[in-house]
Amino acid sequence: MYRFRFHGRGGQGIKTASRIFGTAAFLEGFYAQDFPMYGPERRGAPVAAYVRVSREPIVNRGYITHPDVVLVGDETLLFDPVADPLRGFSGGVLFVNTMTSPQIDISGELVTLDVTGLALEYIGRTSAISAGVGAIACKIAGFSKGTTMEAVERELEELGLSEELIDKNLRLAEESYRNVPSFDLDSLPSVRESDYIDTNVVHVKLDEGYVGVATIAKLGNTAVRRTGSWRILKPVVDLNKCTGCKICFAYCPDVSIYLGEDDKAYIDYDHCKGCLICSSVCPFKAITMVREVKTL
Amino acid sequence: MKSRKGMMLTGNATAAWGARVCDVDYIAAYPITPQSEIVELLSKWVTSGEMKAKFVEYESEHSMLAGAGAASLAGARAFTATSSQGLAYAFENLFAVSGWRAPMVMVNVSRGIGMPMTLQVDNTDVFSARDTGWIQLHAETCQEILDFIILAYRLGEDRRVLLPVIVNMDGFFLSFTREPVYIPSMEEVSEFLPPYEPPHGIAFSSEELAYAPTIILGHSYSYFKYQMHLSALKAKEVFYEIAREFGDLFGRYYGPIEKYMMDDADYAIVSMNSFTSIIKGAVHRLREEGYKVGVLKINMFRPFPNEEVAEALKGVKGVAVFDLNLSPGAGGIIYPELLRALYHVDERPKVVLDFVGGLGGKELTYGEIRFMVRKVAEALRDGGVSPYATLLFTEEDTRKMIADMEIAGKKWGGFR
Repeated sequence: MYRFRFHGRGGQGIKTASRIFGTAAFLEGFYAQDFPMYGPERRGAPVAAYVRVSREPIVNRGYITHPDVVLVGDETLLFDPVADPLRGFSGGVLFVNTMTSPQIDISGELVTLDVTGLALEYIGRTSAISAGVGAIACKIAGFSKGTTMEAVERELEELGLSEELIDKNLRLAEESYRNVPSFDLDSLPSVRESDYIDTNVVHVKLDEGYVGVATIAKLGNTAVRRTGSWRILKPVVDLNKCTGCKICFAYCPDVSIYLGEDDKAYIDYDHCKGCLICSSVCPFKAITMVREVKTL
Repeated sequence: MKSRKGMMLTGNATAAWGARVCDVDYIAAYPITPQSEIVELLSKWVTSGEMKAKFVEYESEHSMLAGAGAASLAGARAFTATSSQGLAYAFENLFAVSGWRAPMVMVNVSRGIGMPMTLQVDNTDVFSARDTGWIQLHAETCQEILDFIILAYRLGEDRRVLLPVIVNMDGFFLSFTREPVYIPSMEEVSEFLPPYEPPHGIAFSSEELAYAPTIILGHSYSYFKYQMHLSALKAKEVFYEIAREFGDLFGRYYGPIEKYMMDDADYAIVSMNSFTSIIKGAVHRLREEGYKVGVLKINMFRPFPNEEVAEALKGVKGVAVFDLNLSPGAGGIIYPELLRALYHVDERPKVVLDFVGGLGGKELTYGEIRFMVRKVAEALRDGGVSPYATLLFTEEDTRKMIADMEIAGKKWGGFR
């Protein structure tokens, strides 16, 4: 059995990427099982998806604890303690979507590609990387290009995308497929690892009622949660054009625009998620969106 | 329609296909995570004309269930789906629909009922409906969801039964999981499932008759209530009949229980629903470690298959019950059901222990599955069997929980 785990942010199409891979595996004649995991759906929040591929019927389900292949759609998630994409990773293949060449100390093979850049080039949008990441998973697994493209087409058709948009996605998938290597999965040391991990059961004892209850006894902590890392596009204010009209300030859903002493708009980059609303409401076109350069 | 073979489908999509190939006439809908995909798909098919049925979106699950039950009484094959809070909101009408003897089918996508609020699985929602007079079938795989829906209509509509049926699947672990599912054509299904012949005589408006609920005294109440009980019990026998026919037609055979590696088992883990797959996988490794373990899966929770359970556990030394649910103050909900099945049997297992795990979709690790079997082996050796459930909760779970507590501003010093 081969175990693939996908990590990304809500809105990147990580679930679709995992389904493209699951469908391709199925078309290649494997038994396949794919399973996305997310909480309340929020753009930018960490999302994971799990795909099992096997020549035998699959007797297991749910989380994958010892992945053979991990695909990370957003490099800022690599060391995020909640997403924890490297959990249980050892001796497999790690793919990271990145525009830099990160040095990551892992035991296993590292593959990188700027899928976001390709998405910008072929589709004109940075967020829709599902076809690219799905195709990369297929290539890593050694699936044929024909199967991969058919799986991309099927999954995007099911989402109701227009023919034109599917064509653009197919080009993104083709380019992504071409630019990463294949692996003989059976030779990966991780494949011999069981997915069944040892854990210690602890004895849960009684706490006082006001402790053992799902309430929050603290002021909001949004300020300490740096949601700026969720951003793929970054708003930049041209202060020469900004008139201080405050429309963006009023519209920002995350209170991430503040007014300077000159009464003009300034962005709180620690918390701005890059939703683009400010840029679209600015009557003077003073806010442009530029691609965020992410570093680890 | 051509026979569809082997599609990658989520549990939710499979449930929608189940309603479609059963040619349902009436769909009562109200959305709730993780169930919404079922009614979304049905709505799409009804709108596009791919499916000939009446689709009605209600203002609440309470009305939705009343509407679906009434449609069933009036002669329509009725379908609905809900989950968790939705099931709870519809609760009093569960009794109404079964009391009307309206053989509709409802899919429940199991999710914990808040508080604490979760979107993830906790079977306490569906088990809380166990005393309402509905037959309950519980699916482990996407294929079972489809097959159980087809079986559910045939079972419920049988005149010896005439009761509504809940088909349960776990939220996320089945509802959003895709795996290959074989979908038979409507023609194939119609060979097994004849058109619904409404038995209540209120389907034809040209006939003069009054139909109304009435407040009755104890003698009639007792009789009607006990008739429901006898019909529910009869459902097991009818299930054997129809499941054999189903198997001959479709090649997949089901019983009220399923035995997995039980033939030579010293220990058994009793489980239901999707986590059974995780436990089955673990059993292979447990056997490598020297524990002769099998799995007893319960497919049918109402009527409860007492005889089958007792028979399956004959010769087994110790049993661990995996309960993905919790009745505070009692423990797991499957556990006492199992004890009732075993108490009057001479060759019953010496030790039966209860474990509550996987709550809120919590990962069930190998260490926890082995812990259950080790505890059973210890109890067999040392005695001291407790009737109280043990929570499966790991060191890693503790660390994560402490982190959450800190975010929430709770001062928590560890288990003392």
